[in-house]
Amino acid sequence: MRNRMLWIAGAAALATVASLSMTVLLAQAPSGTKKALPQTATSTDAAIKASADAFKKSVELKNYTVPKKPWGEPDLSGVWLTATYTRLQRPEELGDKEFFTEEEAIAEYKKAAESDAEVDPRTVHYDWKEYAMDAWQGGATPNLRTSLIVDPKNGRLPPPVPEAQQRRAAAAAAARQLDPMLGVKTFGNLYTRCVLGLGAIPLVRGGMPGADSAATAAGVTAEAFFFQSPGYLTIVMQSNNDVRIIPTDNRPHVPSQVRQWLGDSRGHWEGNTLVVETTNFFDPKPATNFLGSTDQLQLVERFTRVGPNTMRYQYTVTDPKTWTRPWSVESSMPRVDPSMIYEFACHEQNYGLINVVTGTQIRFREGVRDLRGNGAPE
Amino acid sequence: MRIRWIGVSVLVAVVAVVWAASIQGQAPAAAPAAARQAQPAARQATPAAAPARQATGLARAEDGHPNLNGIWQAMNSANYDVEAHNAKPGSHPELMGAWGAEPGGMGIVEGGTIPYKPEALKKKQDNFKNRMLVKVTNDPHRFDTGDTELQCFRPGVPRANYMPFPFQIFQNRDQILMVYEYKGAMRTVFMDKHQEAPVDSWMGWSNGRWEGDTLVIDVTGFNGHQWLDRAGNFFSDTAHVVERWTPRGRDHMMYEATIEDPAVYTRPWKVSFPVYRRLEANAQLLEFNCVPFVEEMMYTPLGLYNPPNRSSR
Repeated sequence: MRNRMLWIAGAAALATVASLSMTVLLAQAPSGTKKALPQTATSTDAAIKASADAFKKSVELKNYTVPKKPWGEPDLSGVWLTATYTRLQRPEELGDKEFFTEEEAIAEYKKAAESDAEVDPRTVHYDWKEYAMDAWQGGATPNLRTSLIVDPKNGRLPPPVPEAQQRRAAAAAAARQLDPMLGVKTFGNLYTRCVLGLGAIPLVRGGMPGADSAATAAGVTAEAFFFQSPGYLTIVMQSNNDVRIIPTDNRPHVPSQVRQWLGDSRGHWEGNTLVVETTNFFDPKPATNFLGSTDQLQLVERFTRVGPNTMRYQYTVTDPKTWTRPWSVESSMPRVDPSMIYEFACHEQNYGLINVVTGTQIRFREGVRDLRGNGAPE
Repeated sequence: MRIRWIGVSVLVAVVAVVWAASIQGQAPAAAPAAARQAQPAARQATPAAAPARQATGLARAEDGHPNLNGIWQAMNSANYDVEAHNAKPGSHPELMGAWGAEPGGMGIVEGGTIPYKPEALKKKQDNFKNRMLVKVTNDPHRFDTGDTELQCFRPGVPRANYMPFPFQIFQNRDQILMVYEYKGAMRTVFMDKHQEAPVDSWMGWSNGRWEGDTLVIDVTGFNGHQWLDRAGNFFSDTAHVVERWTPRGRDHMMYEATIEDPAVYTRPWKVSFPVYRRLEANAQLLEFNCVPFVEEMMYTPLGLYNPPNRSSR
């Protein structure tokens, strides 16, 4: 009964979104593409064509002069979309092929958008196509790159160090042996618990078809609000309203005893690029940091505005307790209008967690042991 | 996948309403720029604003308005009780001793007493008795509960400004961002595109303007769950808060908030107190992500909390 009430509320909300989705598309589309946009939110083909057209116009402008803030810094402010269909890791069959042709890129995008719009009753309750929740309706664009990872050259994560392999094996074994009295901390992942939102650091994580793609790729909360003021870039995520305050005066980090979920960020300008180095991550056991990394995670992000509506976003990940070498990503974030963020009071009304944990406890008692995807630690 | 949808559906409800409103709200933005620019000049000419404008020694932003950028904090005990109050033992003296005891305070209410309507005063007194009530349900009854701070809910305005945590102001000409260390709660103050609150929220909807050297913020759109302190003082979803932030020098401001709520009070009333700049060279907001701090309290009664180190494996 509780569940049903929740679904009814959710469905009503989604129906409202559906009726508004067209306007949202219009608001987020690059200027000049409005006429090409579909007249209904269910027209995947028309939306894909509009995205492809925008993509062909080239997102990076040659000789683009980035506007400056009154105090002289390049203007990075605005809301930037972190959703993408580009995979973090390159499919192995593509080998060293770093770029698609334009036609291939559009075909890949079409494939991803169509699979996003498909209804699989085993995994989703709503037809995203109808409810404007797909990344393609949120503004994700095609990409020539075959993977977000640009280093190593094969576009794949470096091999894990032995310690990381042991950690993963131990976590998997523990997940199989969980007892029926499992609770919030054991089952609920950080997102389900409203401890953290999706992808505050790093911001762009790739469309990973399968387990994690829906949450990370969907356009509805994949927005980062960049508020720039003298000496600071402050990033507020739409998802969970996670806040990252980044001083840009290169002051020293907080003492090493101070550990935070989102680390401790320090920025400095290199020409038009804001370079942000983040350390002092928390050890969030039994959950992990980004992709299973530890409190030794160090992230260097580079933000460069390369067009009025495009932010180039690069980052390098180092964690000697997880990977045998550092690895790097290159991606871009389209700009979203209007430039504002709304309150996301997640924990305050986390009705879902009650249902999630109760349901998972029941499934476990019924003998289901593979609880991955239900918030169990991975 | 299912899990995420459950969580997201709540958000979606909010976003849906907000989108509708934001779309409507874009119309006023198209008002002629000249008309918008004329407004501050007109306000500066008001008699109330004129003396404040002459204040010297203030840090100023490039647009000539006071520069409020920085980390600030109130220094009072209003979060225990906005009215004057004695020192007293905390809720669990058998466990918490002097750690849990509460300091006395002079209060921040102008005139000393909140002008409650009789039935609202009764609710305030009930609130105090039930201040530690935690009611975790997956329906709206979860808000028939005690102090929101106990459960790590957003504090609302003006409470966020006198909680015993620093907050940081980031100032631009068109928007001002306020981030509170408590919970990392944030609010955007819209200086240029004023609109009616598009949706109810915990932190309210803030439209700001300068009156001379005073930042005046009109806050509406509360969801009615806000408490003003741990003593059970409260307002409803019809509350209208007008804040006035007036710098008195580089390192302190006077803060005033007028609270109007015809459903709860017989007349508008006011709180006022100074806020001080945090002057430590290394001052910085640290995370106070209190969600993990309240999970055991909130979910144990439902049999839903069981940390791994207590399981039988």
